Amino acid sequence: MQKIRRGAAALAACATAAAALTACGGSGGGSGSSDSLTVATMTLPQSLDPKDAAGSALPFFQAAYDTLIKREPDGSYSPMLATKWEYNGDRTELALTLRGDVKFDDGTPFDASAVKANMERFAKGGGGMAKTLADVEKIEVTDATHAVLHLKQPNPAMLFYLSDAAGLMANPAKFDDAGDPLKTKPDGTGPYDLDSGRTAIGTKWVYKAATGYWGTKLPYKELTFQYFDNETAIVNGLKTGQVNAAVLQTANAQARIEEDPGVETQKQEFDFQGILLFDRDGKIAPALAEPKVRQALNHAIDRATMLAKIRQGRGEVTSQVFGTESVAYQEELDSHYSYDPAKAKQLLEEAGYADGFELKLPRISAIVSDALASSLQTYFKAIGVELTWDDMDQSAVRRIFTDREYPGMVMNIGQSSSDWVAIGELVLPGTFNFFGTTDGTVRKLLPQIAAAQAQEAEPQLHELNRHLVEDAWFVPFYRLSYLHVSDGDVTIEPQSGMALPSIYNYAPAE
Amino acid sequence: MLSFVLRRTAAGVVLLFVISVLSYLLLSIPDNDVGRQLLGNRAAQDLVDAKNAELGLDRPVLAQYADWLAHALRGDFGTSWFTGEDVVQSISTRLPVTLSLMAGVTLVSAVLSLLLGVWAGVRRGPVDRFVQILGVVGYALPGFLVTLVIVVVFAVRLGWFPAVGYIGFGESPSGWLSTITLPIASLSVAAVAGVSQQVRGAVIDVLRQDYVRTLRARGLPPGRILFRHVLRNAAAPPLTVLGLQFVGMLGGAVLVEQIFGLPGIGSMTVTYTTRGDIPMIMAIVLVTVVGVIAVNLLVDVLIGWLNPKARAS
Repeated sequence: MQKIRRGAAALAACATAAAALTACGGSGGGSGSSDSLTVATMTLPQSLDPKDAAGSALPFFQAAYDTLIKREPDGSYSPMLATKWEYNGDRTELALTLRGDVKFDDGTPFDASAVKANMERFAKGGGGMAKTLADVEKIEVTDATHAVLHLKQPNPAMLFYLSDAAGLMANPAKFDDAGDPLKTKPDGTGPYDLDSGRTAIGTKWVYKAATGYWGTKLPYKELTFQYFDNETAIVNGLKTGQVNAAVLQTANAQARIEEDPGVETQKQEFDFQGILLFDRDGKIAPALAEPKVRQALNHAIDRATMLAKIRQGRGEVTSQVFGTESVAYQEELDSHYSYDPAKAKQLLEEAGYADGFELKLPRISAIVSDALASSLQTYFKAIGVELTWDDMDQSAVRRIFTDREYPGMVMNIGQSSSDWVAIGELVLPGTFNFFGTTDGTVRKLLPQIAAAQAQEAEPQLHELNRHLVEDAWFVPFYRLSYLHVSDGDVTIEPQSGMALPSIYNYAPAE
Repeated sequence: MLSFVLRRTAAGVVLLFVISVLSYLLLSIPDNDVGRQLLGNRAAQDLVDAKNAELGLDRPVLAQYADWLAHALRGDFGTSWFTGEDVVQSISTRLPVTLSLMAGVTLVSAVLSLLLGVWAGVRRGPVDRFVQILGVVGYALPGFLVTLVIVVVFAVRLGWFPAVGYIGFGESPSGWLSTITLPIASLSVAAVAGVSQQVRGAVIDVLRQDYVRTLRARGLPPGRILFRHVLRNAAAPPLTVLGLQFVGMLGGAVLVEQIFGLPGIGSMTVTYTTRGDIPMIMAIVLVTVVGVIAVNLLVDVLIGWLNPKARAS
């Protein structure tokens, strides 16, 4: 027995020593030093090849690649690889002047033919954003530092796209290599190089500052994106210093981090949440063809209570789909539809649906929480509309988009500062208008808006927005507040139109 | 012994094949729209169709499987549909994380369970009751609760260990130990609770045997009886349970890896399964099945080596 007791004592001693050792190791394990930055993200880039880039994963790409045009935090544009850009009179030609002093890592010069090669590859590469260049008919290389984009028709979002995924410039020398090496080994002119040895794709991407970067050096020598699949881990990481910066979307995580005195937080309204009614011609749900029915759905819900109960008041109620930074936005439209079940019932009656109707919508639990699902059911039931949910996995979205089984769906959609980006997603036939519904007012206004700069088209944009609200194309609930959190050592500037800020928007705190 | 190992290995290969077919069929549910998930909700439908065709998803499932199998037999497991990364490379960077975790838990629970179980089995009385209560409580507590409490106390409040992240052993051994300690501690609670009860029970059983009484009567020192005779004979049940724990730990690892943000196979399984990334999941399934077969084989061999009677049966 003596032996056993001695063994136990030895083990206890080991355990203590181990704890002491790890306690020392713990402090070294963090990433708190001021020349490295660890950003937590819940976005997984599909690959690091720009042809696969999507707006939500842009920061991963910004590290390794530069865009033609830089998008500033407020949504305005400034020079990057292109120093100047100019439209012709009817806005069908966009002339770009490029920097002549930029080279890729292997010495391949960045020039107008690289722009042509990249954009043609992006448009045909099969990536999710390829359609953003659909209006580009051809790219003319005038000389090494000049290129002209010839457009099939005016596209007011073109500068936005060139500051986004479509504007990322990779080394054309890598395009023909077997197996598409750019997917895991990016080769651009950007401020950082991927440190492949320390990167575990799918979990952690480590970038080191590129030596001899042509532009202004960023304040961090090392930039790490760490992927998390839940916000609890991100909150813990922020509290203990393994994560320097993150954006939190859920109300619970936001409330938890705000208790911590050590962190800095700032709010940004980014996504709006609401029901997109695709079936405005009534192919699946005939009732939805009636504007009065769609208006009734808008009057049926109590947005303020939903926001207070479901999102702990974190956001702003709205009846419009355009964001506050867009030209089309009008403050009074936020409160266009009041909570008025009696009026909703009356509208249903006038539309010939006094007995209500059945509405079946898909439910992706990541978007539609239990609380949201049941409150919508309750509100609609009160006016006689039987809402049933079809639970589905994110992987089964085929039934929504390909099979078109549903007349609408609840979505969270990022609100771009570019009006035309929002129009492209919500109003033009395609993305979220895949039944292709339209009407006379929309058909009249869109060409006028497309042919002008956003500011000049303000009256038309306002008219379009008001029409979409009054005709009840959608049932928006509220804009969601996201919370940018830093560990206190980092200053974060939120980026217009993006949930995760651009990599240029981080700096050491003063 | 050799023929036993060979027979088991052959059965393992058959099992591997059957599981790979079943997994592939289950993963290829017709609802699953990989192209749409890859390109996002904002992508045009024709691009989505083109992407599905590019991945070969428009072909019959059995043709897709045959293609996958032909490549897999040549050691080519393809690239992830979602991250473009080589599957073998991706798994090889994540496997060490989960293996560190599993090996650590197995070691900790083997040592602690042996100490606690023998202590309780030999001493009996209040010590025994104490260990039994410990076992029941440890087993009854939900794993996620234990993990969350451990994180809040030792990482967030006390700041002794990092709350999230993983540092490879090669990068920094002390960093590795610091990032792996809390996850191991969280998983060990239930493991120790289960295995220590098995050790206790087996020790008590063996101590009651006639031959132990005979050995005692002959005046052999108690320590020698315990280590030479009792523990050897008592090894089988705890080892079997320990093997089961090791195999079952993958479920626990999923949770712990998510909470601690560890880049292991467990968290990977969740991420890629919800997306329907077939090349990646198939490789994870194969690695897991091979692991399970190997551990079971190892446990059987170990029991046979410790206790010749088990070999005969």
